[in-house]
Amino acid sequence: MFSMKKTGTILCALTIGLSGVLAGCGSSGKEQSTSTGSTSQPAASTATSGPVQIDFWYALGGVRGKTIEDMVKKFNETHKDIIVKPAYQGAYQENHSKVLASVAASNNPDVTMVEIASIAAFADAKVLEDLTPYSQGDEKKYIPGLMKNSYWNDKLYAVPFNRSTPLLYINRDMLKEAGLDSNGPKTWDELVSFSQKLSKKEGDKITRYGFSTPVDIWFYEALVFQGGGNILSENGKELTINNEAGKAPLELWSKMVKEGIMKNPPGENYNAWDVAEQDFLNQKVGMIFTSTGSLTELKKNAKFDMGAAFLPANKTFGTPTGGANLVMLAKSTDAEKKAAWEFMKWMTDTEQTVPWSIASGYMPVTTEAIDSAEMKAFYEKDPNFKVAVEQLQYGYPRPMAPGYKELQDVIQKELQRAMLGQATVDEAMQAATEKGSKLLKK
Amino acid sequence: MYRVILASRKTVEWIGLLIVAFLFVFPFLWMASTAFKTMPEVRQFPPTLLPETWEWSNFAQAWESGPFLMYTWNSILVAVGILILQFLTAVPAAYAFARYKFPGRNLLFGLVLIVLMIPGQVIFLPIYVQLSGWGLVNTLWSLILPYAASAFGIFLLRQAFMQVPDEVIEAARLDNASEWKIMWTIMVPMAKPVLVTFGLFSFIYHWNDYFWPLIMTNSDEVRTLPIGISSLHMSDGGTLWNVMMAGNMILILPILVIFFVAQRHIIKAFIYQSK
Repeated sequence: MFSMKKTGTILCALTIGLSGVLAGCGSSGKEQSTSTGSTSQPAASTATSGPVQIDFWYALGGVRGKTIEDMVKKFNETHKDIIVKPAYQGAYQENHSKVLASVAASNNPDVTMVEIASIAAFADAKVLEDLTPYSQGDEKKYIPGLMKNSYWNDKLYAVPFNRSTPLLYINRDMLKEAGLDSNGPKTWDELVSFSQKLSKKEGDKITRYGFSTPVDIWFYEALVFQGGGNILSENGKELTINNEAGKAPLELWSKMVKEGIMKNPPGENYNAWDVAEQDFLNQKVGMIFTSTGSLTELKKNAKFDMGAAFLPANKTFGTPTGGANLVMLAKSTDAEKKAAWEFMKWMTDTEQTVPWSIASGYMPVTTEAIDSAEMKAFYEKDPNFKVAVEQLQYGYPRPMAPGYKELQDVIQKELQRAMLGQATVDEAMQAATEKGSKLLKK
Repeated sequence: MYRVILASRKTVEWIGLLIVAFLFVFPFLWMASTAFKTMPEVRQFPPTLLPETWEWSNFAQAWESGPFLMYTWNSILVAVGILILQFLTAVPAAYAFARYKFPGRNLLFGLVLIVLMIPGQVIFLPIYVQLSGWGLVNTLWSLILPYAASAFGIFLLRQAFMQVPDEVIEAARLDNASEWKIMWTIMVPMAKPVLVTFGLFSFIYHWNDYFWPLIMTNSDEVRTLPIGISSLHMSDGGTLWNVMMAGNMILILPILVIFFVAQRHIIKAFIYQSK
């Protein structure tokens, strides 16, 4: 097969080629960094020395990723002194790990999307730039209900971009057929009684459930808020769910599952969301909790009169917000930061947020956008889209603590244990509190 | 009587094998079927096994959603590049471990085994920082170099080399063959089935790898197929599963072809190992 000589030559060629390329890449990389370093300084003082290039990492794929790429293209066309390079980096969690790694290696992006519950972790790790000097009051244009996850230790670190709240989706046809109010249940008690009437049994087999929701931290947060509770203490150092408000959601859900009027959709994380939405579209369940971000797609696929409503109230209405914010990285140069703010501001301006909201189903982020004629016309055509914005008056920030990303996994695991009957509600809350406080003390 | 028992045992074996085969093949069939369905049919309940209408355009839609030709080319460069480097490093290493006695051999081999047990995710950060220092992040080299040596390959080949009878090597040495020549012209051909199997494992792993290319690359010019396909997935609901599955079909097609071509060698490798 291989003769000795031949292999020798191949090996030699390969090692030489490899080291050549290695050296080549290394030096070109160095050149690049020094050249951007030298151009960025004059760029800060004089605007004529060529455009500033900034990197923007985003975490939405599919049609939404395309929309974002188009928006960036438009920005680049209208801003001659700034070039934004967008790059898709996987879903929120993947982008999260990647940003942290890139900061450690000092080749981080200048602007990125961060899921709102992770803002505290990033800000606490000093990865983010304080935006106050850049915004100079500009942040007042955003809807106040969306800003609660933008601050950490009283400093502004993020602006809202693709934002959502959970909604109650209802099959109006099914509700009418059962003689129920087609606007959906307003309270937990009504949620139970509606579900009882919507569920169907054939012999011992349940063929239709009234209600279904992924047993997800996001919906649990909503139900805790509705009971007047909170996930974390005010200083963010303690878990406060081992009490009535913390146990009530689990008691409600497990009671409904036992009674056979709620389906606990199987699957890890977002798979359970998919199952719930699938069942809803196939009219196997009458009502589900899911994100306003799913509105466009569900509406397109539903073969029935689909409606969106507030999450039912316990003591009060209540909802967390969700989605992601835009942040600026602390390690960027001054010129890059200036350009980064220009870009963040533009992306969230009314002119951009209105078409973005209409295309994606996420909420518009400025108050001006909500009052705009375009948005009003859109809401009139489909009032379902307005529900999320109206529900914001009962909006709570997602819990803010540096370790919340890990903590929510702990809580979610305990919730699922209780739902599967592997632990009682008390045991689950006890275990979550014990494991959780260890995480918070870190 | 004995024959009847034998025949019925055969039937039972066959049925068992068919069931197991079906379990493994079904997800593939399901993916293929979904790739041809329309979106309403994907969401339909009860699900259909075969598409009612064959939607070929899903493939075009997946392919045109990004620079897929570039992704494919990058995937080939990375998977083949890694394979070549791994052969060049694993063969001499395995030969040394299998055929030489030198101080520290067991310790060194122990280290190789330890590498087998550490998942890439655990040590990605120092490697990322190092590659970044060399200016290699966002190049194809950042995808190839970290995998230039394979502990699994060394381990597998060492086992194969150890099974070559001493007489063969003795005879070669008597004929004045150099160690280099013995390694490449005697040992390697004798271990061919194992080499092919290892090559397949390595190729499939790196062809499908998602985590590493995602972490190391930022731009389409150096990205590979799995990342292109994952960008079809929408966060927060509303994924077009039919297009996604069409993308996955594009991804696995080369692997299926290679597998069918190399099947004979794989079976040989396992029979060879079990002797």
